[in-house]
Amino acid sequence: MPSQHFSVALFLAIRSIQRGNRFTFFLTVMIMGLVFVNLVFLPSIISGVVVNFNSQSINYNYGNLVIEPRENEVYISGVSEVKQKISQIPGISGSSPRFSAGATYHYHDNQLSGQITGFNPRYEQEVTLIHTKMKDGDFLAEGDTDSIVLGTSLAGNIDERLDQVDSLGGVTTGDSIDVTFSNGVRRTLRVKGIIESGVYSVDRTAFITLKEIESVYGLSDTATILLVKLDGDGQEDKYKRILMEYGIAERIRTYQEKGLGFVNDAIRSFEIINAISTMVSLVIAIVVIFIVIFINTINKRRQIGILKAIGINKNIIVYSYIIQVFIIASCGILLGLLFSSGLVLYLTYKPLMFPGGAVLPVVEAGSIIRSIMSLALVSLISGFIPSWKTANEPILDAIRGN
Amino acid sequence: MIEVLDVTRVYQMGLVEVQALRGVRCSIQQGEFVGIMGPSGSGKSTLLHILGLLDSPTSGTVTIDGTDVGLLKEQEKSEFRLNHLGYVFQDYALVPELSVRENVVLPAMARGAPPDTYLKESEEILRQVGLGHRIDHRQYELSGGEQQRVAIARALINRPGILFADEPCANLDSNTSRTILNLFRELNEKYGQTIIMVTHEEWHEEFMCRVLYMKDGLIDGEKACKMRENKN
Repeated sequence: MPSQHFSVALFLAIRSIQRGNRFTFFLTVMIMGLVFVNLVFLPSIISGVVVNFNSQSINYNYGNLVIEPRENEVYISGVSEVKQKISQIPGISGSSPRFSAGATYHYHDNQLSGQITGFNPRYEQEVTLIHTKMKDGDFLAEGDTDSIVLGTSLAGNIDERLDQVDSLGGVTTGDSIDVTFSNGVRRTLRVKGIIESGVYSVDRTAFITLKEIESVYGLSDTATILLVKLDGDGQEDKYKRILMEYGIAERIRTYQEKGLGFVNDAIRSFEIINAISTMVSLVIAIVVIFIVIFINTINKRRQIGILKAIGINKNIIVYSYIIQVFIIASCGILLGLLFSSGLVLYLTYKPLMFPGGAVLPVVEAGSIIRSIMSLALVSLISGFIPSWKTANEPILDAIRGN
Repeated sequence: MIEVLDVTRVYQMGLVEVQALRGVRCSIQQGEFVGIMGPSGSGKSTLLHILGLLDSPTSGTVTIDGTDVGLLKEQEKSEFRLNHLGYVFQDYALVPELSVRENVVLPAMARGAPPDTYLKESEEILRQVGLGHRIDHRQYELSGGEQQRVAIARALINRPGILFADEPCANLDSNTSRTILNLFRELNEKYGQTIIMVTHEEWHEEFMCRVLYMKDGLIDGEKACKMRENKN
């Protein structure tokens, strides 16, 4: 493209925007901005769900890695030896053996089945953040016996209308509840504290010390799983290999592998919704830009014909429309970024509440770049087609409006 | 110099063939102010469009300063129009978003002229057409006559060899028309500008060197105008 073509096209485009119909310009920019928000917003919520799920998985459910019993075995036996091996590996900040079993809780006339987990409170604090989420009372201590800590949705409320799921009907710290373990042993335990983590699986579970549960099942130095916490996230696969190299023969899974299923299905569904929403947004952008430029070129058909007649190259005319569309799309993208930032800021202070807890939107650079590229591309294409069509009309047809 | 040889132009209007030109033959010398007159449908505008490279003849040749313009490709025709021809249309056809000066300099910008040159030239031409005081005004601030003078200034910015005017006074009152025609005459007499103008009005003849009369797609007659005859 000769440089004078570009400078004339730029000149015409800028003047057209400066002195043309400002209402149409601002309206188009506004629509582009909203389309951009739509392109960025849903992926940011999906990313937020993923980040939320990952952090909950690591901080409350699994740590970074989970060691499980060998195939065809129910328990990890010789846990202290496994833990000893793990403690020698640099980059691992802690490990916590857990023993989980089914149990039925009895409180007054209420009876509820669920899961009970035993752990060593000191080790657990090296791995998860459950101890930081005490709503009431205290976390378990290493030597505690006959004590239990309940998740808040398991403990429930006296006013059952406040419960989102079935509960024990308002257990409070200091109360005693009866627990029937899966082997039939029944014990009365004093409630030492109530946990409110916002993580459904934690708030629905009861916790006792490992020592207590081992005494119930008559086992020692055993666990159903062993959680491993790394110094930093994102190196799970590497440490999985290292653990194997250190001679741990049990099954090792990353927290992502453990979470496969429910969350992945949810994310997949989200992504389908996002794809549909993205497509609809882009179609709206295409239609808006196409209509704006189409009406503009139809209204200026005669003028375009005259410009061609006086020797203005048709490419200059097409470029001038493409530049206009580029300016509209750029302003729309900037406005969209502004709107999105405002929305993200708002939702950071007032997060969306999902069943898995509060979800903060996470805007990823890749999603922004994809949105910018796709919006710019569809805008340019939908601006190019009508301007090219009009600029290629025979001069006299354009001038006469045939 | 323009040489027109056996030019025909046939339009297809649905199933009907319309013969707008039936073998026009004429020549126009450099520095002439030639009027093309005739009744509606006589083919005068078609001839002007073909001479101005806005339309192509069905057969025949048009040669401008030795170039057979029928052989030019679309891109070359566009450049030829930009560099050698100027146009004034009936309804001015200015770009409303541009100021008077910006409208005028547009063809020079497209030609790649340096800004200093075209800005200076535009001021000079606008003074010439009597709009030196309206340089930064917009189209909506101008009268019809002023808009037409802007269109003339725009047509002249690239110093075209030939200026085409398609009924430039059709939308103007007689006083304003006279101002425009005087301007054309001045351009023609003072600067030797070749002008070819289509008009309906017989009284316009007094401003021209020569008039070609058209009828039924052919040049039916021509005459040298009195005033110019007297002058010569």
